[in-house]
Amino acid sequence: MNTVTVPAMDRAGAVLTGKRLLFASALLMRILMTFFGMYQDETMEVKYTDIDYHVFTDASRFVTQGASPYRRSTYRYTPLLAWMLAPNIYLSVHFGKLLFMACDLISGYLTYSILRRRGMPCQLACRYCSLWLLNPLPAGVSSRGNAEGLLAALVLATLACLEDGHPARAGAFYGLSVHMKIYPVTYALPIALSLRAAPGRGTSVTVPPHCGGKLVKALRRFLNRDLLVFAAVSGSVFCGFTLLFYQMYGWEFLQETYLYHLTRRDIRHNFSAYFYMLYLTAESSWSLALGLAAFLPQLALLLLTSLAYHSDLAFCCFLNTAIFVCFNKVCTSQYFLWYLCLMPLVLPRLAMSLRRGLALLVLWFAGQAVWLAPAYLLEFEGQNTFVLVWLAGLLFLLINTYVLVEIICHYKPEQRTKLD
Amino acid sequence: MKVAFYCILYLTYEIVEANISGEDDCGFSEAWLEQLTIWREIQKSGFHRELVTEVLCSTEIPGDLRVLLVQRLPSGVYIDRYQLASHRSEAALQVLLDTELDLEAPTYSSADFTTFLFPSWDLDGGGVRRLLAMVPIHMRYQRPSRSGERWERVDIEAPHLLLRTDSCKQPPLLPPYRLVESPCTAHNLSTCTWLEVPPRQVQTALTLHVPVGDQSLVVSVCAGTLLATLFCFGAVASAVCKHGLRR
Repeated sequence: MNTVTVPAMDRAGAVLTGKRLLFASALLMRILMTFFGMYQDETMEVKYTDIDYHVFTDASRFVTQGASPYRRSTYRYTPLLAWMLAPNIYLSVHFGKLLFMACDLISGYLTYSILRRRGMPCQLACRYCSLWLLNPLPAGVSSRGNAEGLLAALVLATLACLEDGHPARAGAFYGLSVHMKIYPVTYALPIALSLRAAPGRGTSVTVPPHCGGKLVKALRRFLNRDLLVFAAVSGSVFCGFTLLFYQMYGWEFLQETYLYHLTRRDIRHNFSAYFYMLYLTAESSWSLALGLAAFLPQLALLLLTSLAYHSDLAFCCFLNTAIFVCFNKVCTSQYFLWYLCLMPLVLPRLAMSLRRGLALLVLWFAGQAVWLAPAYLLEFEGQNTFVLVWLAGLLFLLINTYVLVEIICHYKPEQRTKLD
Repeated sequence: MKVAFYCILYLTYEIVEANISGEDDCGFSEAWLEQLTIWREIQKSGFHRELVTEVLCSTEIPGDLRVLLVQRLPSGVYIDRYQLASHRSEAALQVLLDTELDLEAPTYSSADFTTFLFPSWDLDGGGVRRLLAMVPIHMRYQRPSRSGERWERVDIEAPHLLLRTDSCKQPPLLPPYRLVESPCTAHNLSTCTWLEVPPRQVQTALTLHVPVGDQSLVVSVCAGTLLATLFCFGAVASAVCKHGLRR
């Protein structure tokens, strides 16, 4: 690990002040947004707080009364989240927002730790972290009461522990993250590939010497202590929570927490390029085949990126998440935060000019704006813009693909900054 | 003599009271019932609307009058009871639904349902007592059109107007009006006896138009979507193979 030598105390002070100022600013920004949200909810017709937050709070109310959180219609999350937000009922309805904003800050700190561990100077690490901490998008999402910050913290904790060489802790965070949302399951293969033994090295598990063949040798690499510990801990955490809540809430827990998301096909308009196809074929006998056809490109790309980039876990997870979101049958703006939280880890190794990067960012926002216009006319004005929404969805997929390809082409892995 | 006097006085009192009750009919009279008017409107556009119902009365009304609007809504519409609960503190309107509603299902997977609206009386500037019920309703997705129609029609029938008073346990039987059993309050479905009054309607039915998909485009949409997806898959896969797998 590279060490930072500090020639003068005032220089160290300046560095610490920069980091402190960043986190203090991020916290202040979120608190101000929360207070504004409280004011908007009281005085304006359009509410600041997201509907999901009311769903969480209602579910929490049910669990504090000893009932199932699934008595709340559209609550499709783990009961753990409802239990975590019980203080919404006992203390203040805004507790959950504070929790999610704290997770934002934790995510920022974990990102900072990972970048510093890679040898990046403090000021530069702070600058990259500010892309998350001072970004109004995640701040707005958390202050509105969405739980995406919680997942970001769990995913970054997993990556931080893996980079630190703590597979057990990483497994615990990973198992919990998969229990809370399904998408981190796409990280299983790259994590497994990165933790397996290097080629030619003996494994820590004794295997009979007469086992040969390339396939067997490849499989033997997976019999590695770190990987086995990670798999055991993550599997235990995931299965432990699943069994516990199945015991408490039965089949409804499995249906709402896991199966709904695995089989979900929302025929209502959303960013996904598949939305109109799924709407028109909802009652068709081709529905299942088309759903499978939509899933295959996503699966194939996830396998490909896992094989190609598992040695750079942060980038691989970023790509996997972006591919999962872009090629998914349902896509809402909250999903963007799933890969946005990994951007500060990817950007330092992106050999791209600022101008090009900003152009891609503007293009990405423009793609959303082109979709939002006909979607607004459809939902709030009652105009028949289904075809336009569909075409805008295809355009957004193309833009996302172009941005992804640019990132892949300009990514330079393993550029470690060494300090004397 | 004294006893006889008091008996006569008591009987006179009972006869007079019975006559008064008979004349008031719990505050309902045919003339009064016939001047009740209902006016309805749909506000806003798109998938999120407001159903506005006004009951107008230009004369004196009993102080303890209770009003219930029984509104049957089609499967193409749903009400979010959680949204109602959050608005309940802001408005005097109370709403009871007769069934649990799936907030996300399309029309063809849903059924008609009944709402029981318990609004309060409001006095406007012109001295006309009116009853205003504004209920947020949402449109469900309809089955795609096979005939090229771009909008599907959703009709909302007129509500039933039910009346009763707190002082009368049983409203009077006043033909042609009939007595019906309906929920007493918005808190539960336990019933009371109400007098159903068909008022003068300004509109008999309201019609909404909801945009629908075009089933005739299914082949083009599927082909276009899958081709675009394959193209994007190819682009990303090619980049990964070139820059990732060859490192």
